[in-house]
Amino acid sequence: MPHRDDALPQTTFSYFFREAARRMWVSKRTSFVAVAMIAISLFIVGAFLLVAENLGRAVAQAGGKSRVNIYLTTDATPQQIAAVDSWLAAHGEFAGRRFVSKEVALTRFRQYFANLSDVVGQLDENPFPASFECEIAPAVAQSPAFAQQAKELRAIPGIDEVQFDWEWVEKLKKLINLVNLAGIIAGGVLAIAAAFTIANVIRLTMLLYREEIDIMRLVGATERMIRGPFLIEGILQGFIGAVAAIALLFAAFAAGRHFLAPHYSLLWSFLFNGFLPWRKLLPLLAGGTLAGYLGSWLSVRESGEEEPLSS
Amino acid sequence: MIHFYHVTKRFDQYSTALHDVTFHIEKGEFVFLTGASGAGKSTLLKLILRQIQPSDGQVVVNGRNLKSMRRSQLPFFRREIGMVFQDFKLIERMTVFENLSFILTVLGIPPREHKKRAYGALRAVSLHHKLNAYPLQLSGGEQQRIAIARALINEPLVIVADEPTGNLDPDLTQEIVQIFAEANMRGSTVLIATHDRELIEQSGRRVITLDRGRITDERVAVPQRAPRVESIFGIGG
Ligand SMILES: Nc1ncnc2c1ncn2[C@@H]1O[C@H](COP(=O)(O)OP(=O)(O)OP(=O)(O)O)[C@@H](O)[C@H]1O
Ligand SMILES: [Mg+2]
Repeated sequence: MPHRDDALPQTTFSYFFREAARRMWVSKRTSFVAVAMIAISLFIVGAFLLVAENLGRAVAQAGGKSRVNIYLTTDATPQQIAAVDSWLAAHGEFAGRRFVSKEVALTRFRQYFANLSDVVGQLDENPFPASFECEIAPAVAQSPAFAQQAKELRAIPGIDEVQFDWEWVEKLKKLINLVNLAGIIAGGVLAIAAAFTIANVIRLTMLLYREEIDIMRLVGATERMIRGPFLIEGILQGFIGAVAAIALLFAAFAAGRHFLAPHYSLLWSFLFNGFLPWRKLLPLLAGGTLAGYLGSWLSVRESGEEEPLSS
Repeated sequence: MIHFYHVTKRFDQYSTALHDVTFHIEKGEFVFLTGASGAGKSTLLKLILRQIQPSDGQVVVNGRNLKSMRRSQLPFFRREIGMVFQDFKLIERMTVFENLSFILTVLGIPPREHKKRAYGALRAVSLHHKLNAYPLQLSGGEQQRIAIARALINEPLVIVADEPTGNLDPDLTQEIVQIFAEANMRGSTVLIATHDRELIEQSGRRVITLDRGRITDERVAVPQRAPRVESIFGIGG
């Protein structure tokens, strides 16, 4: 009669879960260490991802448009301004220009940095330069012809600086990739360490239960039956660790947003713009669970039946 | 059902627990294995469960050659055998009910039947009131009866018991032997290791005697008197 237990009945899984939960409860402290390891590593990954995510949002808000800011010197004369304006009008790419006066610039600053407006209010003179803003199609902005025109533009008297914001967008994008990568590498290393912690915790548990595992084998339990609770234990530890990491991250985020963001600076408000979306939280959960599974699998794999020497 | 062919078991170079042991137990038999302490009874029973492997010779149980049996088949093979271990081997962390429930899970019995089956098995050894006790809260004899209840819970093809009455008083011994006899009547092949001479002599069963690892005697016990035992075992033989 061939026997197989490929199809373990559902009831066996409920046994696995009950046993795993019970064993974790019995070895609360070691389980806590394993869960904490997972939580810490995923918290770090999550923090990096969150920063990258919000930088990404800032970039997205800047939009696909490439903006050119042409700042005039503070002492530019109306004639010089008019000359710049007509130059821009004559060059098609810049035709959609918008003039931002010194007053408008000041008002904007006051809006962005509400808490700093006192400082500005005390100034005798408006320190902000007037500027022209143009929206340029990205394809045009990156052409050599455009670079030539930009050079010409810089030479016109009364112009202090020509800023292309795609430059910082590009830089920011690189930074975002770097932050993401750093998070994933740091997190990956820590997650592997966490998996080994879990492996050791499970190994300890198996040692603790060795006698009873021998008994289970003698009464006909399959390796699967014996290993099941240990695997579930690892998976549960990983999952709980991941949930804890996300909860901690959210708490940190909410606290940061509440206490820091509005008063601090534009950068902070960018960083606390929003929490990680589900599409990034789910991989964190999956990662924690996987690390837990991996850890328990590592230790469970080594166990096999040896010929017992005991009576 | 149980066949030993020239089985030798050496644990180390100084001690040979079994020497060239050959015997056969057919389906439906009820056999006692006896011998002095250290004669090799437990070793022989462990070989049947493939708890250990012989150094030499072949063991065939339920038509399976234990030497060539694949490791993955071992659990399924063991489920066909109800073993009462000399040291009981109850899981101390689990209550009596959980111990039985575990074995039922192993056997693939749905949990909603566990209460009923466990209760029935305990009732047979008169320990149904100890359902929620832990093994260490029980006396030696009670633990032994739990071990028996576990071994018999699924009417195994083969029942192998190592000193199953070692911790029991004479009345309980009779009761337990009665349980084995009933299981035997329902079709299980039974092999019991014991040094309880009285139990053996009154049984009218086949007896294999071991002495320092060798079979020295195979016979059928002839009950002298004792109508009480007669009534338990039916017509002796
Ligand atoms: N794991 C082992 N390692 C070494 N020697 C062993 C081992 N198990 C048993 N032996 C030896 O094998 C011999 C037979 O032991 P076994 O346990 O089979 O005896 P037994 O007949 O069951 O005795 P008892 O009636 O006391 O239970 C003994 O001499 C014992 O010392
Ligand atoms: Mg023995």
